[in-house]
Amino acid sequence: MSGRIIALIVASFGVVVLALSTTGVLPADAMQQLFRGSLGSPRAISNTLRETTPLLIAGVAVFLALRAGLFNIGVEGQLVVGALSATAIVLSVPGPLGVVLGVVGASAAGAAWAYPAGWIRAWRGGHEVITTIMLNNIALFLTRALVAGPLKDPDDQAPTTAMVDATSRMPWLFQHDNLKVNVGLAFGLIAVAGLAFWLRRTVGGYELAAAGANPPAAQAAGVPIQRVQVRAMAMSGAIAGLAGAVQALAYEGRFYSGFSPGYGFDSLGVALLAGLSPWGLIPAALGFGILNQGSTALTLIGIPRGLTGVLLGLLIIVFAALRYREVKRG
Amino acid sequence: MAEFGWVLWLTTSLVLAAPVVLAAMGGLTSERSGIMNIALEGKMLTAACVTALVANATGSAVVGLAAGVTASLLLSLLLGLLAQAYRMDHIVAGMAINALALGGTRFLHQRFTDPDRAAEMAKLPIELYFGLALLAPFVVALVLVRTRGGLRLLAVGSDPEKSRQAGLRPAPIRYGALSATGLLCGLAGAMLVTNAGGFSDGMTAGKGFIALAAVVLGGWRPLPTLAACLAFGLIDGFQLQVQGSRLVGSGIPSEFWNALPYLATVLAMAFLGGRTRAPAGLGRP
Repeated sequence: MSGRIIALIVASFGVVVLALSTTGVLPADAMQQLFRGSLGSPRAISNTLRETTPLLIAGVAVFLALRAGLFNIGVEGQLVVGALSATAIVLSVPGPLGVVLGVVGASAAGAAWAYPAGWIRAWRGGHEVITTIMLNNIALFLTRALVAGPLKDPDDQAPTTAMVDATSRMPWLFQHDNLKVNVGLAFGLIAVAGLAFWLRRTVGGYELAAAGANPPAAQAAGVPIQRVQVRAMAMSGAIAGLAGAVQALAYEGRFYSGFSPGYGFDSLGVALLAGLSPWGLIPAALGFGILNQGSTALTLIGIPRGLTGVLLGLLIIVFAALRYREVKRG
Repeated sequence: MAEFGWVLWLTTSLVLAAPVVLAAMGGLTSERSGIMNIALEGKMLTAACVTALVANATGSAVVGLAAGVTASLLLSLLLGLLAQAYRMDHIVAGMAINALALGGTRFLHQRFTDPDRAAEMAKLPIELYFGLALLAPFVVALVLVRTRGGLRLLAVGSDPEKSRQAGLRPAPIRYGALSATGLLCGLAGAMLVTNAGGFSDGMTAGKGFIALAAVVLGGWRPLPTLAACLAFGLIDGFQLQVQGSRLVGSGIPSEFWNALPYLATVLAMAFLGGRTRAPAGLGRP
């Protein structure tokens, strides 16, 4: 390992230790609290898996776009639009049929929300980072207006939809005392496997990876770059919408203003940490799930939540530096 | 307020546009030197947070501003370090810095803000920032085309490899450009927090990205970028004014007006974009 990378890792550790020292908590105690809060009991593990679910599915969305050379920072917006669509559909069509329709509707909504960013990138050259961030803000205000207005639960003071029917929730896959695993997590695993298969074994997936790896070469080989980019962005948005549907129908049971605490942002970290293979998304999402769940426990001993964001930034930096070394060597 | 105030609209718009102008000029210097800079948002946010905290702690507005600008400068140099020395993808490095800034300011704000004293932040007059914002585009324009350093910056940004062969060293020039970016974003953040009277989590609310959009729409040239920022300010001022006066369409929810500046940015990217060309060396080591 080169000196530069070591310096980067040491500096990152230094920042975290320095931040912890201002709170008066010993790093070892903080570590212990983090793991106790996220893995220490069946309930904690259930919560960590719950937290992992949207990160995993949204991570698949970011990863797919990244493979096409696109940074989908708009997962946050696509996720909330999907979640609200799923909730609204299920509220008017309860039962298993509603769940299926809700999932399909959420994916369509997510894809529709991502489409402009893909189109502007492909045909107008406008960078998708800017457009997706703008679309995030628009989605936030749009969903807030809807849950404060036409879709609001009249019996509740806060801007929220009504709770969906118990028959329209995604079922628990496994339930024993406090240890619960929802079928939503299985969706995440299936999405990872599906993406791995699609990228390796299909023409569409191959074209997408080619367009991302070397656009001029792919173009010369007859890959319609622009169309592939638009398609990749829409697919990424559809998966992000699915993440929203799962979050709404598996765990929350409703949609409210402030639904996502930043899953879209975190999923970018998940996808970047996953490395070169989609299977890397599973440990990466689990790691972020542990971090998110553990940070709730950390607030109890006086460590502000912002520390997670700092860790996210540092992890991305260190992993990106390491990855570059691999690419250079390989 | 009963009717639409034209004068108030224009003045509000200028005040809203000014921090975006400063950030956009920062983004422009960075991007013209070849460093893609999506971390404007994080730098503004950090500067805003540090300015408020230090001004509160020391009671001095000048020390606060100096600390805020320094923080932004350091983040800007970190981006340079990651992009140049570590050869990291500029967007990845920028997003990492944004995450650091978002989490770090949240942490600092929660840890160090004294809730009893938050109201009485020492402030420099807003006119100072305003004047700097007015000056910045012209200074940047002059420096870029009339000075040796500016021309070198443009050369490095449009073709790092050829400028290397011509004897220029891209890295120091880019660090210089990024210092200017840090300074300008620091001023932008300090202006935001001065105008708001205090720091709140995520208070930049995408202004750094709107500034970046203005750079793209302005074709990476200072004066057109200034025009794009002013257009944005007019839209933002308009929506505030409409919401304040409740004159137009009281049936329209306030969220629509809040979303208007972002919507306008996307539409501008869709319908006005594609006519400008990015610096050729953007994103290349």
